[in-house]
Amino acid sequence: MGKNVLLVDDSSTMRKIVGRSLRQAGLDFDNIFEAADGLEALDVLDKEQVDIVLSDINMPNMDGISFLREKQGRDAVKDIPVFMISTETGDDIIGEAKSLGALGAIKKPFTPDKVNEVLGPLM
Amino acid sequence: MEIEDKIIEAAKEIFSSMVMMEIEVKEVLETHGPLTDTITGLIGLAGTHKGILGIHTPYPVAMAITSSFLGMDVAEINEDVHDAVGELANMLGGNVKSILSDNGRDIDLSLPSTIAGSEYNFQSDKEVDTVIILFDTGQGEFMVELDLEK
Repeated sequence: MGKNVLLVDDSSTMRKIVGRSLRQAGLDFDNIFEAADGLEALDVLDKEQVDIVLSDINMPNMDGISFLREKQGRDAVKDIPVFMISTETGDDIIGEAKSLGALGAIKKPFTPDKVNEVLGPLM
Repeated sequence: MEIEDKIIEAAKEIFSSMVMMEIEVKEVLETHGPLTDTITGLIGLAGTHKGILGIHTPYPVAMAITSSFLGMDVAEINEDVHDAVGELANMLGGNVKSILSDNGRDIDLSLPSTIAGSEYNFQSDKEVDTVIILFDTGQGEFMVELDLEK
């Protein structure tokens, strides 16, 4: 049985590209949900069964770091694994994301192989 | 390696791995004239380095890039084109930040934005160091411009 993934990015182009990369990586997802910022992502997590979250960092309304912080405070969703997908790869920022529960980060630009390498072990 | 070479390397990687287009450097410029029928993706840098990165894409090139990026035909300058060109600026800006930043915290990036028009000028009112690289996509040319405050 496939898993459900939530893609969080303010760029609709990037959400499509990440979705395409997941399919090209041969990963078995039943549903791909989308959100344009952290606030929308929290709303999706409240309503849907999500197994993995892939989130941008630099977003309007609620950025990826604030999203992680909010998610950490919600018992029902705090254990859902999150990977950051971002141009932001400075040690400080990724370190902060990991301290808030993110399992790792994928740097933009990326290839389907990189997506498979990072997400494959969770499938 | 100079920042110009690193921008070229980053742009080639972004286009090859994400846009599915191979691009080549046509020319390195010192200035450019008014931009006509063009969409520009912009990202601002603030902190220890202040400036702006722009990607200037004439409409036909912007549509070709977006078509290849999304894997579907795009025949007009629509929201998808604005979003795609903005995201290209975002990825290039992220690479420029990683080149210039010591730890990721000393430079902040703005959210990407776009401007488009039949004719406009793109120039800084501050004294800046400018790098302008003209790329050829095989379906037309576009420019990447980095203006950093001196």
